[in-house]
Amino acid sequence: MEKILLRNIDAPDSHTLAGHRSRGGYRALEKVLREMTPEKLIDEVKASGLRGRGGAGFPTGMKWGFVPKDNPKPKYVVCNADESEPGTFKDRLLIEKDPHAIVEGTIIAAYAIRSHTAFIYIRGEMFYGAQVLERAIDEAAAAGYLGKNILGSGYDIDLILHRGAGAYICGEETGLLSSLEGGKGWPKLKPPFPATHGLFGSPTVVNNVETLAALPWIIEQGAARYAAIGTEKSKGTKLFSVSGHIKKPGVYEVDMGYPFKKFLEEDCGGVANGRKLKGVIPGGASMPVLRAEELDGITMDYESFQAAGTLLGSGGVIVMDESTCMVRAAWNIARFFAHESCGQCSPCREGCHWMEKIFNRIEHGAGRAGDLEMILSISGNIGGNTICPFGDAASWPAAAFIKKFRSEFDEHIAAGKCTIH
Amino acid sequence: MDPVKITLDGKEITTEKGKTVIQAAADAGIDIPHYCYHPKLTIAGNCRMCLVEIEKMPKLQIACNTQATEGMAVKTQSPKVLEARRAVMEFLLINHPLDCPICDQAGECWLQDYYMKHDLTPSRFDERKEHERKREIFGPYVVFDGERCIKCTRCVRFFQEVTHTDELTVVNRGDHSTIALFPGQTLDNPLSVNVVDICPVGALTDRDFRFKVRVWYLKKTPSICPGCSTGCNISVETYQNRIARFKPRVNEAVNSHWLCDEGRYVFHSLTEGERLTSPMIRQEGGLVPVDWDTALQAVAAGLAANAPAAAILSGRSTNEEAFLFGRMMKKISPEAKQEVFYRERELTEVEKVLMSPDRSPNFRGARHMGVGSEAGVEPLLQAIIEGRLRSAYIVGEDLVSLSEDGENLKSALGKLSFLVVQDIRMTPTAALAHVVLPATHFGEKAGTYTNRRGRVQKLEAAIVPPAGALQDWEIFSRLLGESYAAPEEIFAVAAREVPAYAGLDYEKIGALGADLEAQKQ
Amino acid sequence: MAVAFSQESLKRFDEIVHRYPKKEAAMLPVLYLAQREFGYIGPEVMDYVAEIMDVPVARVYGVVTFYTMFNMKPIGRHHIQVCRTLPCALAGSERITAAIKEKLKIGVGETTPDGRFTLTEVECLASCGTAPMMQVNDDYYENLTEKNVGEILDRLK
Repeated sequence: MEKILLRNIDAPDSHTLAGHRSRGGYRALEKVLREMTPEKLIDEVKASGLRGRGGAGFPTGMKWGFVPKDNPKPKYVVCNADESEPGTFKDRLLIEKDPHAIVEGTIIAAYAIRSHTAFIYIRGEMFYGAQVLERAIDEAAAAGYLGKNILGSGYDIDLILHRGAGAYICGEETGLLSSLEGGKGWPKLKPPFPATHGLFGSPTVVNNVETLAALPWIIEQGAARYAAIGTEKSKGTKLFSVSGHIKKPGVYEVDMGYPFKKFLEEDCGGVANGRKLKGVIPGGASMPVLRAEELDGITMDYESFQAAGTLLGSGGVIVMDESTCMVRAAWNIARFFAHESCGQCSPCREGCHWMEKIFNRIEHGAGRAGDLEMILSISGNIGGNTICPFGDAASWPAAAFIKKFRSEFDEHIAAGKCTIH
Repeated sequence: MDPVKITLDGKEITTEKGKTVIQAAADAGIDIPHYCYHPKLTIAGNCRMCLVEIEKMPKLQIACNTQATEGMAVKTQSPKVLEARRAVMEFLLINHPLDCPICDQAGECWLQDYYMKHDLTPSRFDERKEHERKREIFGPYVVFDGERCIKCTRCVRFFQEVTHTDELTVVNRGDHSTIALFPGQTLDNPLSVNVVDICPVGALTDRDFRFKVRVWYLKKTPSICPGCSTGCNISVETYQNRIARFKPRVNEAVNSHWLCDEGRYVFHSLTEGERLTSPMIRQEGGLVPVDWDTALQAVAAGLAANAPAAAILSGRSTNEEAFLFGRMMKKISPEAKQEVFYRERELTEVEKVLMSPDRSPNFRGARHMGVGSEAGVEPLLQAIIEGRLRSAYIVGEDLVSLSEDGENLKSALGKLSFLVVQDIRMTPTAALAHVVLPATHFGEKAGTYTNRRGRVQKLEAAIVPPAGALQDWEIFSRLLGESYAAPEEIFAVAAREVPAYAGLDYEKIGALGADLEAQKQ
Repeated sequence: MAVAFSQESLKRFDEIVHRYPKKEAAMLPVLYLAQREFGYIGPEVMDYVAEIMDVPVARVYGVVTFYTMFNMKPIGRHHIQVCRTLPCALAGSERITAAIKEKLKIGVGETTPDGRFTLTEVECLASCGTAPMMQVNDDYYENLTEKNVGEILDRLK
């Protein structure tokens, strides 16, 4: 499998400027400044087929193309380093081990939309990661990759590191922008979209850490090489974070299209402690869980996961073996969403906590007939009716756990306790 | 106007470019249910109640944030929309307290109204409700109930965008979100009670009105606020012949949707207290009740015999009253100096959003009707204090209490040869009079006011005066020796004689008033 | 004002504000600065931040109550934040929390009487591959066991 994103991280000096440069770092930026207009750059990224790696999978080149070129307002690029999707820890790896790839990628993205001010919004809890990034930014500035007239190109670019303060919703594009503007992380109504009305009402592009970190390689090696990897609709490689009941948890870089079951059983070593696989969440806690029996034929790409009734999302793979109580797992996730709901709109504000209360009651032995239908109904009433995708993210797992493990839920309710342990 | 055609439930509607679906619907008389949307505040889009189905869009869209575009087909009654509405209603009600029996909002509560109109499904919530602060005093007039609140943020946005005072905010997250004042702060800006009007539920309620009367018992009469010369359009809401509260009426040309706190509660000071119920004449030992004929004869004779006279009309008198008063004084006491009471005061920035720097709602109309001069009332009061006048006819203002020089004015008025005071209560000024005439206040009057900007607006009588009192216009017309059936007739005469009012009548003035400048064209 | 930044913090405040295209964007870093200087963000600190940031104090209040990392009350010297979300739960985070409660004799949300430790549970910290884990103040402690978590706490004075 191709190593693009993780090609540098094994070296002990991978996070330093010197280390980055010794492995070809900033050559891509030099190439962009030397040979490419923003339009050509956007076309190249479009041709690569790169899709947003935060969870939504929106084609990156197309997103850049939405920014109006002749808008007089300043334009902004924001690197979304607010990684908070449960089961996901790939951005943290890149931040701590290859910060310069992120810096370089951010500058390239800024150039594409003619932005002169870029931000990296990093979640507040990643204090160490923020230190590493701050040092990398300082090094880059000292070396002339940031500031006025970088590398003599005539292009100015400022990069500001900004720490969040503990809110999952700030990983949502417009929630991030509200937070960056100095307020609560309340998502904004769309339309208008950030491409035309983003940070401070100006055209803004928000890209995930992994998306930006892929850019230097794509520029250097060419879009065609990137597009040669993967499937028809899912190009290139993706970082998957694997955790839970698995022998070898960690971050894996996988060619899109790789067989999922093979990945879990071979590359990740299979289920730990000799137990049997029960279920897998493939794309972070927001994504519908898959039963072990459903994995055959699924490949690790956007289309295949979607066809299987779930989504690739952030690629946070959470493995659950037969010792897992699915009721408790569902409650855990419902509790997460209830805790993280920003509270702005009524279906999410009231519905997430309602679902949590019911799951809580079932888990602790006080489940009643009709509870599961109630959760399914609430889930259906939240989804599609909210300001931002958080509502969908909260409603899908609730419904999926019940649908996929219905008999376990029924037994748990009937017995008044967990029937797995 | 850039016209845009859309269809709403199959019906074609023409609206303007730039309008949202909810605005276009409202203009066409179709109410799409909503909570957080308010025509004068920015779009919040958080209640999700106005979700509608739009052809070619897979998800339901909120009508308040969707621009109407040419050919758009909107459905507000499709099964998907009705289901979404019921879902939103259910979510809003699950943590809502069962307060209806003790909540002032009952009868004008949007949760109640929309439940009856768009929901009617029984509650499925069977968990513990979240609890929040109740009965939290926000300010001198506003009390907050966190459990009833639906977090629509209308109140937050009002203080951000209309008064720019930013007192309220949303704190916490998720279903612990609630509205809060910064610790130690009070909600006491001059327009604070407007949030009680715009709160769709009983989360923000009026302390003055608290528990007084159920709103479905209120009789509602459109009128004009007598607080100052802005002339905010109000609804005077009464019960058992007493004013219970003011509510603003919408008039974009005057007060938009708003009413200031001072105006809102001015009816207390202007109407409460023991009423005069009989004319009185001063004899040995004090004021004694007499019949109207005796009293009015004494007025005419007394003024004629004690020139020169001062005639001071209340700033709250109507145009009709001012018109008759001016002519009446000219007839009885031709050299009398006539003025309408008017005094300016300093206003704060927030007050200036709505209020005028006076407490004379009809000073301008009275001037149009012939009462008063450029000099104003202050020189006239000074003349009284200096003893240069021998008699006075004071209508509807307790000058002794209003004056900075109260003691001197009181003693000067006491030295007048003849003093007539026409008022509703035995004020310190009335106590000095030789003749006291019981009259009415704004809430009992029909008539017109002309506001500071030259807009003529109608008052309607909301309550009935006590037996024994007469309308001010009736008193003046008797003294004039003329007879009118109603104020509308007086206005018709005035309109013929005062050029600025030519062609106006009550019908043209209507519910929202008529602008004199526009009249000229 | 009851509280005010030290000279050094004022210098830092200026640096922070000048980095951003608009002053209001500096709200979060300024609140962090205030929390470090004053220990926690109570009403007086919020008043002060509102003044130096030129925003209504209600806005500061809304922001501080929204984010989990701002403390409105003083907490222990070492803030133990154990991750409780699914991947850590699958790895036994509840046993770690129980061990900490047992050792420190406090419950979740409480502070030891000597002010040394505060224990809270938090959501996913993006360390699922090394679960179970916790964050203490600025630092992550990963691959916890019931045994080593006690040793870690002993080292934290």
